[in-house]
Amino acid sequence: MRIGRRIADWWFSPAPPERLAAVRILVGAFAVLWVGGRIWETYAVARLGGSHWKPIGVTRVLDAPLPPDAVLAIAIATTVALVAFTLGAAYRYTAPLAAIGILWTLTYRNSFGMVFHTENLLVLHVIALALSPAADAWSFDSRRGRPPPPPPEAGYGWILKLLAAITVLTYVLAGIAKLRLAGVAWLDGEQLRNQIAIDNLRKALLGDAIAPLATPFLDHPSGFTIFSVLTIVLELSAPIVFVHPLVARLWALSVWGFHVGVVFLMNIWFPYPLLGIAYLPLLRAERGFAWAIARWKRRRNARRGAAGSAPDDSSLPP
Amino acid sequence: MRTNRVTAAIVSIVMVVAVLEPLRRKPWDDSFPLSPYAMFAFKRPTKLTMDYAYGVTPSGEKRTLTPRIVGSAEVLQALTIFRSARAKNELPQLCTTIAERVAAIPRYADVTMIKIVSGTHDAVDYLVRGIEGTEVVRMSCAVRR
Repeated sequence: MRIGRRIADWWFSPAPPERLAAVRILVGAFAVLWVGGRIWETYAVARLGGSHWKPIGVTRVLDAPLPPDAVLAIAIATTVALVAFTLGAAYRYTAPLAAIGILWTLTYRNSFGMVFHTENLLVLHVIALALSPAADAWSFDSRRGRPPPPPPEAGYGWILKLLAAITVLTYVLAGIAKLRLAGVAWLDGEQLRNQIAIDNLRKALLGDAIAPLATPFLDHPSGFTIFSVLTIVLELSAPIVFVHPLVARLWALSVWGFHVGVVFLMNIWFPYPLLGIAYLPLLRAERGFAWAIARWKRRRNARRGAAGSAPDDSSLPP
Repeated sequence: MRTNRVTAAIVSIVMVVAVLEPLRRKPWDDSFPLSPYAMFAFKRPTKLTMDYAYGVTPSGEKRTLTPRIVGSAEVLQALTIFRSARAKNELPQLCTTIAERVAAIPRYADVTMIKIVSGTHDAVDYLVRGIEGTEVVRMSCAVRR
């Protein structure tokens, strides 16, 4: 009973609404660019037609692919909903729509024989944020003139913990998959080297750029043992982020470095972690925003002061 | 949304259990967005056989084609397009589509023929030593302008 209470106290430990809002804004902005910026690629894949159709996840409800124009319309509507999600506008209604839309659109994009792994975490984060009071601060819904909403009983900390847990678990799963399929033999470096070699060969034959460090490392394979051990250690040790915030930041930095290594060795880009968005729940994400807002308000007040009106510092963040 | 602790706990448990659900599946049973993330876990030899296309100039020179010409900007999606087309005997249509796209791109102005081949290469030999393996031509078609 006491342990359960301790876990609950830890899970529901308080966090400022601005931190959750900052995560909503940055995850939402990334989602808008990811879905909106790839609309034509989504459309191009939708036009591949029924012979390439291999439904997965939620698209299994379909017997045949949708008309490409319908796919395009859903992708555009999803982008609009994601803009509202990011701005925190009518969040109670637009956030669930954005979550359903991004789940559908990206699952559909992955239903043509190739499942990509660059956007899973984004979808899961948007869904979790949509189920939370992430628009209580820094949103259209909380704009000046409206009474601030009462803080929810559960607070804001739990959703940040949940987002962090989802990030952590994806890495743990990747580590477990390696051990399930290859066992400790994965650590000797040969399999990682072969993965990198095959991936770059496919790129070379299909007209894409090969990774800049692939060839020199493939010529000197001993380094792959170190890379393999580091990969497994980083993946399986991910839950240590909950030990202390400093440990969390160090882990996030290390995993970010791992993704940079993947770019240089495989030319595979995971933009969500590479831009640091995947690790925002582990950081004090509101700080950059608070600094920018305070700076903007100081400038505005200075201009008003120069014009003879009283400065307004009533809503400066602490 | 005024979340109380019970609702928050239920949402948290459901999300965590959902993310862990792929542990119940075989690692190669992938889905989206719930994945076992086994993409780098499979044992692979360095020798690979795969289908791909290239352009040929009148002097017989090979020209690599970008994946977008095949139908997607993503390399792995392009690979599945070749696989699927071959499995469904649709290589003639795919070759024609590629040829039409190539005809519209100025930097491929010297390409007069498209070949879709099955190539077998050792990845390390190919990338490090520049040694090409063998290729079997599956389909060829002319680029008409």
